[in-house]
Amino acid sequence: MPRRKVSVIGAGNVGATATYYIAEKVIADIVMVDVMEGMTQAKALDFLHSGPMRSYDGPISGSNDFATITNSDVVVITAGLPRKPGMDRMDLLKANTAIVKTAAQHIARYAPNATVIVVSNPLDVMCHVVLSTTGFAIRRVIGMAGILDATRFRYFVAEHIGCSLSVVHAMVLGGHGDQMVPIPRFTTVAGIPITELMDQATIERLVDRTRKGGAEIVGLLKTGSAYYAPAAAAAEMVEAILTDRRHMAPCAAYLRGEYGIENLFIGVPVILGKHGIESVVELDLTDDEKQQLLASAAAVKKGVDELHTFFKVN
Amino acid sequence: MKRVGIIGSGNVGTNIAFFLAENRIASVRLVDIKAGVAMGKALDLMQAGPLRGYDTTIEGSNGVESIVGSDVVVIAAGRVRKPGEHRIDLYLNNSQTVKAICADIQRLAPQAVVINMVEPVDSLTLLAQKTLGFERQRVLGVGGLLSATRLRYLVSHALATSPREVTGLIVGPHRSTMVVLRDTVRVSGIPAAKLIGEDRLDAIIEEVRNAGDTILQMAQWSTAFYAPSAAACGLIEAVARDTHAILPVSVRLEGEYGISGLCVGVPAQVGAGGVERILEVRMSEKERQAFDSACAELRSAIQQAESRQTAS
Repeated sequence: MPRRKVSVIGAGNVGATATYYIAEKVIADIVMVDVMEGMTQAKALDFLHSGPMRSYDGPISGSNDFATITNSDVVVITAGLPRKPGMDRMDLLKANTAIVKTAAQHIARYAPNATVIVVSNPLDVMCHVVLSTTGFAIRRVIGMAGILDATRFRYFVAEHIGCSLSVVHAMVLGGHGDQMVPIPRFTTVAGIPITELMDQATIERLVDRTRKGGAEIVGLLKTGSAYYAPAAAAAEMVEAILTDRRHMAPCAAYLRGEYGIENLFIGVPVILGKHGIESVVELDLTDDEKQQLLASAAAVKKGVDELHTFFKVN
Repeated sequence: MKRVGIIGSGNVGTNIAFFLAENRIASVRLVDIKAGVAMGKALDLMQAGPLRGYDTTIEGSNGVESIVGSDVVVIAAGRVRKPGEHRIDLYLNNSQTVKAICADIQRLAPQAVVINMVEPVDSLTLLAQKTLGFERQRVLGVGGLLSATRLRYLVSHALATSPREVTGLIVGPHRSTMVVLRDTVRVSGIPAAKLIGEDRLDAIIEEVRNAGDTILQMAQWSTAFYAPSAAACGLIEAVARDTHAILPVSVRLEGEYGISGLCVGVPAQVGAGGVERILEVRMSEKERQAFDSACAELRSAIQQAESRQTAS
């Protein structure tokens, strides 16, 4: 079997930590690419030095040259600016669109058969940038959002119950923002829905904390944002694809009519496997859940429209 | 590192030692009365260690004294069921073995959490708890967890998804009258019935009820041991690492689910001290009736066996 190759574009905290988690799984050779001179080379060397103790058996390399991603099986895009104080949403959108678009052009050129996992924010909009720039099949462009939101929800539920994390599962749909749609009746402890284990007020508190999960960490760090859980979520997706694990989990997928949503990236349950998204799982949602999902989709649509306006203007 | 004493080095006992080493959960003392067998298997396992990266130890012994001070003791001795054998005969046979082992555990590892693997598992877990005189939280039977792992596999197979995200709880006796809590059979939180259909799920549940017999017949006179060993390993991990995992486990009920003085499978949170709490899960009317009648049937089977024992 040929060795598998994963490239991580952007070697900031998310990219470097994702590299770490992927290296620990010992499932692929890893290339880190960043525009910043020397940084990826330094981080890659540091990882390699830990290899004898951690049993990494494949190369990990760093480069400023996108040609090094040639023939990657999976590419993870984490590049982008964090939102700085005083920067408005539109400025961030413009800056990151330019960065992600460049990355996507290189992927289309050097790794035309890769599956792309998008991590850069604003997530759902960046997925559109990647899809339209690469022209890849829609099953090969996937946004990392739902797994992250779900892992936060799972943690909050386990912490509240006082049980191990491993028996808690959660489903979070919608866009990756305040309008995400956690589904308590599909969130379980050993298979038991949390709606049977806690009162409505507690569930609402945990749902609210999940919605604001990213902001809570930004508030604590003040000058940065979360990276361990986002990187772990991206690595989980890489593993599911490379090992063809057929992992059912929520991801941002390009919908063409599923859930009544057309031509939009939105978080829904999918099966992740060797082709990327193997299938989209359509659930029977209650009217309330459906409304929340459509509202979330409308917010994502607004971002995509802004993007189009921006491109027309420029 | 926690220490686990395993009494019986047959297929089940030895595979528990194997899984524990592979997952770096605990060191093992493997005991068998048959001269040399436990020692030979322990040595074979330890010689695989350099390749497999074991950092725990496995020691074999013919003397039960080696379990002294164990954190967990697993009873994996006794005879396995023959095809077509009546459970009552198996009970009569194995109850003597379990009683004798319990006397040793009481003497050598009075603080241990005890896990019973010997069939019929619920009746003998109750017998072990009574004989040991340990608080009920520390005497567990493997049963529901074994059936649950089979259920999870079959559901993931039907759906062609990874089994890791599949859940499913099973309550009641570990025999064909077991009750699958249908609403807990889910994939990443999504009810499996919505994904594979009610009929397919019914067929899977039926397959789980008879899974032990199916393997017994397929493998021709050999009972299943990988999945039973994995289930034991799941319980041991929860205790040795104090994970507070919620697992279906056979434990003596004292009022929970309206049952007293019987060991049957129920969802329980398991940590360093054994069962930390029993979760009372909502059942459908049909499930409730099936559970009650399965428990009543188990109770009368135990009474019948005990009266046969007194008579003989």
